[in-house]
Amino acid sequence: MLGLTSHVLIALLAVVAGLLFAGVLGTWPRLAGPGAERVALRVLALCAVQASILSLTFVMVNRSNNFYSSWSDLLGRYTGGGTLAAVSHGATGSSALVSVLSTRSIRVPGRRRSAGTLQTVLIRGELSGLTVGGHIYLPPGYRDAARRPRQYPVILTIAASQLNAASPYGPGRLATSTAMRIVAGRLQPVIVVMLPPSVRSDPGCLNIPGGPQAALFFTQDLRTAIGSGYRGNTQRTRWALLGDKSGGYCALQLALTNAPMFAAVVVPPGNYQAPPGPPAWDSSPQLRHQDDLLWLVRHQPGQPISVLFAGSRTDSPFFSLAHAPMRVASAPPQTGLWPLAPALDWLGRSLNADGSS
Amino acid sequence: MGVGLTSGLFLWLTIMMAAGGIAGTTWLWPRLAWQRNGQVGARIALIALGQILIVAAVLAYLNDSFSFFSSWSALIGPVPARQSAVSLPDTARAASTQPIVITGSSIGATYRGGSALGRYGSGLIASPGGRPDAAGLPLFAGRTHAPTRSISAAARSGAVLRVTIRGQYTGIVGASDYVYLPPVYFQPAYAKARFPVVLAFAGYPTDPLNMMGMLGLPAMAARLATAHRIRPAIYVMVNPSVALPRDTECTNIPAGLQVATFFGTDVPLAVERTFRAQSRPRGWAAMGFSTGAYCAAKMAMLYPGQFSAAVGMSGIYAAIKDHTTGNLYGGSHGYRSENDLQWRLRNLPAPPVSVLIASSAGENNLPGSLAFLHLIHPPMQGYSLILPRGGHNYSTWRRELPQILRWLSRRLTPPAPGHGAARPREQVVKK
Repeated sequence: MLGLTSHVLIALLAVVAGLLFAGVLGTWPRLAGPGAERVALRVLALCAVQASILSLTFVMVNRSNNFYSSWSDLLGRYTGGGTLAAVSHGATGSSALVSVLSTRSIRVPGRRRSAGTLQTVLIRGELSGLTVGGHIYLPPGYRDAARRPRQYPVILTIAASQLNAASPYGPGRLATSTAMRIVAGRLQPVIVVMLPPSVRSDPGCLNIPGGPQAALFFTQDLRTAIGSGYRGNTQRTRWALLGDKSGGYCALQLALTNAPMFAAVVVPPGNYQAPPGPPAWDSSPQLRHQDDLLWLVRHQPGQPISVLFAGSRTDSPFFSLAHAPMRVASAPPQTGLWPLAPALDWLGRSLNADGSS
Repeated sequence: MGVGLTSGLFLWLTIMMAAGGIAGTTWLWPRLAWQRNGQVGARIALIALGQILIVAAVLAYLNDSFSFFSSWSALIGPVPARQSAVSLPDTARAASTQPIVITGSSIGATYRGGSALGRYGSGLIASPGGRPDAAGLPLFAGRTHAPTRSISAAARSGAVLRVTIRGQYTGIVGASDYVYLPPVYFQPAYAKARFPVVLAFAGYPTDPLNMMGMLGLPAMAARLATAHRIRPAIYVMVNPSVALPRDTECTNIPAGLQVATFFGTDVPLAVERTFRAQSRPRGWAAMGFSTGAYCAAKMAMLYPGQFSAAVGMSGIYAAIKDHTTGNLYGGSHGYRSENDLQWRLRNLPAPPVSVLIASSAGENNLPGSLAFLHLIHPPMQGYSLILPRGGHNYSTWRRELPQILRWLSRRLTPPAPGHGAARPREQVVKK
């Protein structure tokens, strides 16, 4: 029998359609007269030629799209399933996502007990394949809470000045700032994750097409790592972001494109129209737009995030462009020994106010 | 437009016109009986016109049967409201409303009067255009309810709701999607239980209504659950094409619609906020056929924090680009590679998810499906279901469905009656 998808069937149908078509054209005058018989023959001839062309079309379309592989398939005669088999085996077990390299206690003035712990860590990104070194601050009471499990909100700090001990974003000073606010009761106990913006080469925390997937690391890998290695709140609770001059683009970009994961962000004022590193746009205007944060604010749906520009300039275009539910605020720069204290307080309030936390 | 694409009136109009074409040609026949060039040309033109009318009628009939396009705007695109360089939805509006609005009522009557739930129930639950409570349904987490007749009916047969899903973060709106809630969802013992969710993608172009009509997904789920072969789950049946007639391939389009985020984040969030759904990866899986197969596998691979398993039936797991997709990748070769699931498996660490790839001998996608399977490596787990015979059609997918639903059921955390965390109850399931 002629297969539904065979060339022979197509050729046969084409010949039949061609012959019928030519036949109708040729016998047209002979069927032109009056009489019920002739009219019936005309209708019959027309139906035959149309049906043959339609069949040919169907068989050709079916063949090119692979809809039905045989007559039995077309008529629904196949029954029964196949064999379900596992293709790959092997242990799903993986080594720890967070390796703690060193731990030290944080002390604050006027308190004899420890005000938290600062760890130096390596975080392995399960999906991105990136491994990033950084620091994690655990608040006072974190160890006690092992007996009474609780989940802590998370502040993610992205700053290149992490290595600079004198910078307010340096791990020691930032951990001490945070500890002081917590001890003073101005900030709820939080976990602070401190990472550099430069993952491999790009300091913009973007997924580089065909290159390092930094955004994937910061959004999904980090959440998995903190969720599995720490009692960080990762389930449907959004984090806060803090960026310095070098990590500001990264922090704001992550907040604007991953609002389900980040509720609030504090960055220095700026325009943020391009990542602070070599672009990966392949000369694509669409990707250039996608990585222009002003363009995003202008064109994408208003994201439910709070942005604080910590600096004296209030002429940033974000103020005029941001629309609900996105909120933009500014705060004057702080001087003194602990300039990040107001930013930390503000982030803590934003975390409390976030409905999903 | 006045006459709906899927209305019976339109189908009848096209059939009448096709018949009119035959009748008109028969009537004009004697006037074209001279053997002159012009007359022969007129005959050919009449036959061609008749063929066009017949094809139009056949296409209208096929569209009704296979639910390719549910409306004129899905077929030819929406009437442009305003011109702008990029088309992103106006969002303040989208964000301010409920994430899921129940719009559908006539779910009991799918095409030709069949029930969405087969012989397992009427499927008639929601009232027209109503909010969830308009139907008296205990849809929201923790809400208690008085047993009414519609609830007792749902407790026997389950419910299928037609919903509009609004993406909180992307602003994308899925206007015509469906949610199947199993019978136990409405039973008092499960009043506080949270259910696992299967996100089921239709193909391109297919209205998800066909997951009830041709695929019979809720009916099969109800049948297998009644026979204790699978455990109950919520099925969310969606159209992967959120901007018809364009094929958006569940991709975050640079400077455009963020379709991957919509299905990977917005839809799960909306479902978890509206229904008593679980929120851990072990409570979420994706499945789909054709384009939906790519979407399902992509969701699991890109959002393993949300989905732990995926099933692809007759899919292509590369980043396709043709006249229906347009420029989805911003013209960037690298970005296109990132959306190619085979490229990801070759160049990025594998995600910790399980994927079942189904196909059949006789399909063009079989070599690609096997190649994709062979790229899978730990911690990702691959499973194959290859039918010895079949094609790119619903009959093939229907035959695969029982094994697929059982495979999914074994990977999802079942709902637990009463209080406390859900615990697997393997003894309920017959192997």
